[in-house]
Amino acid sequence: MTGSRSLRLGLLYPREMNLYGDRGNVLALVRRATLRGVELEVATLGLDGGDPKEIQSCSGFLIGGGQDLDQLALAHDLVTRKGPALRELVSSGAPLLAVCAGYQLLGDHYRTAAGDLIPGLGILPLRTEAGRRRLVGNILVAASPGLGLANPLLVGFENHSGRTILEPGLAPLGRVVRGGGNDGDSGAEGAVLGSVIGTYLHGPLLPKNPALADWWLFTAADRTGTTIDRSQLDDTAEEAARREAIRITLSGSRSRGYRLLGRRPRIRRTG
Amino acid sequence: MTQADPRLRLAVLGGKATAWASRGLGMGGGTTLPGDVARAIDPRILRKLGASPRLGIVLVTGTNGKTTTSALLRQIAAAAGWRTGGNQSGSNLIYGLTAAAVAQADLLGRMELDWLVLEVDELSAALAAEELRPGILVVLNAFRDQLDRSFEVDQVAARLGEAVAALPERAVAVLNSDDPRIAALEGGPNASHFGIEDRDLDRGGLPESADRPVCPRCGGSLRFDAVYYGQCGDFRCPTCGWSRPSPAVRVTRLLTAGLDHMELTLAGPGGGAGPVPVPLAGAHNAANVAAAAAAALAMGASWEQIRHGLEEFRPAFGRSQVVPWRQRQVRLLLAKNPAGMEASLETVLGAGSGPVLGLALNDGIADGTDISWIWDVEFERLASGGPRWVVLSGRRAAELGLRLRYAGLDGSRLLLRPGAEEALDELAARAAPGLPAPALLTYTAMLAWHRAVVGTGGAQPFWTQG
Repeated sequence: MTGSRSLRLGLLYPREMNLYGDRGNVLALVRRATLRGVELEVATLGLDGGDPKEIQSCSGFLIGGGQDLDQLALAHDLVTRKGPALRELVSSGAPLLAVCAGYQLLGDHYRTAAGDLIPGLGILPLRTEAGRRRLVGNILVAASPGLGLANPLLVGFENHSGRTILEPGLAPLGRVVRGGGNDGDSGAEGAVLGSVIGTYLHGPLLPKNPALADWWLFTAADRTGTTIDRSQLDDTAEEAARREAIRITLSGSRSRGYRLLGRRPRIRRTG
Repeated sequence: MTQADPRLRLAVLGGKATAWASRGLGMGGGTTLPGDVARAIDPRILRKLGASPRLGIVLVTGTNGKTTTSALLRQIAAAAGWRTGGNQSGSNLIYGLTAAAVAQADLLGRMELDWLVLEVDELSAALAAEELRPGILVVLNAFRDQLDRSFEVDQVAARLGEAVAALPERAVAVLNSDDPRIAALEGGPNASHFGIEDRDLDRGGLPESADRPVCPRCGGSLRFDAVYYGQCGDFRCPTCGWSRPSPAVRVTRLLTAGLDHMELTLAGPGGGAGPVPVPLAGAHNAANVAAAAAAALAMGASWEQIRHGLEEFRPAFGRSQVVPWRQRQVRLLLAKNPAGMEASLETVLGAGSGPVLGLALNDGIADGTDISWIWDVEFERLASGGPRWVVLSGRRAAELGLRLRYAGLDGSRLLLRPGAEEALDELAARAAPGLPAPALLTYTAMLAWHRAVVGTGGAQPFWTQG
């Protein structure tokens, strides 16, 4: 594979897990790959596809959010049919980015409000429990410096009632600046372990956070020995959308469903 | 209600006084505050007003097309010679419904109307059905809409199901055959279905913005033999064998010409109508017309009256309205969620509507604070054709810009004009004379653009329309 100029994205359950514009994540990866001189092929790993051989042909993976109804059927397919090959690829350094319900499915289990257990893949040592209130609104997260992102401030929108609890030792993706995050009060958002990132940020995540899209591409390229242009791209349009989203998130007038008292900026007016 | 009810009278008086005061103070149309005040005085006011003798009540709900369908229905009712009222302003939460009822009641708390036709927010429909005890409930569809408020489409469908379940025994539920979640609602023996049966309208597959087609009965995957708009079409479930219920009122033929003209043929119990010209466009609007016709039949209208009403219909606020701006014209179209945006975009592109298109995206509570849905809209079709320029506006104009860049549009075609007036200026500067430039706007963006136009004397305040 050394010197190759193509990567293959394994898109997990795009039909079922496509609720929050997660398609934008795929667009972002394809676009940035092209600008970096790499052809990114997209392989659909749905309920009716994704045998081990197909999974092994992928350079990295993406899984999005979905409706509660869909998760049960998916969890079974993910854990039993796709699990072993996926775990193997990820442990060898293939990037796996999981958003919202996809993030929850990477943990040990999800306990619904009715008390049912939806088993997870167990790639990340965490568990999720149904919460009483939904965390809904714009969210701003300072990503952990360990990831080496070009721009560590991540902006997005969250909408989840699950409370995700990380096992001791598992690092969060970052600290919440505004919003709810994993559980609404620990200040932690998402999780990182090796080449796996889970997060509640959609909106979609990658177009407005190109540094994270680059993390996925570079991680995939590193593992497969693919030559990729790592120079800074012209991100004027991305930056404009990012600034707009950050400004609105910080203005706080749009955050609902929870309140973070004492964290709001104090604006003093004179005259 | 023959005996005097002082509390009700006081509530009506309070509501009316609030409406007068808020208009007098220039606070807007007074479309919800009077309801607030009236309910504070008498929490049972809506139940009492709804129980006015000889008054029939129709509620119209669903995520898309409520305003158009209820306007169509009011027009048909007027053509039938019935005294008809409603919430033309579009305030469709329980306070808005109360305000509309108060506005149309006399000071004794009676409504001298034959029919009250109200559009109702999909999450308020169950409460409205319980308080108003309508004779007819029209359920149009359940598309993704403002996910941060209504969370998930299945949940919306569940709430619509509660509204149907809350209906009085003899009431008629008018349900969409083509939307699986609505078709699956238990409407009982009085249910009346409407749908499209013109295979020429088949889009050949589900759009990107459609949700996973899950069978609401068994959770299996649905198969579509035809898709007309959004997730609506001719479907069946191979797993449990359930399939689209056969509609009583059908659109058998639809011809769309331009952005505001279509001719459609309807068939149903006791005859049909058509081809009838209606100043709307697209399959989704044909479904709205079928819904209105089905409800009108349940109200006792004849096909002749339905036909007259449709012919006399003029579009409601912002659903497709041409406004003047600097010697040019702009056509305002509401596009509040992926299905609506998709439908409007298709109509605009199909009509070949000139050199410039406007898009405005706000993230207010009334718009939905989660704007991620724009990434599910197939803006890609603008990349290879359509207008030369796209003017981007609203609080999230830059996000729209990013979306269109990713859809393949060159940056030189995109003009970022966040404010309403600067966006209207840009559209007017590039529009062709005599050809209104189309603009697709979310709800509060529509209000802002409308305010700008009213400010220059170009349009009537929306609460005086209808």
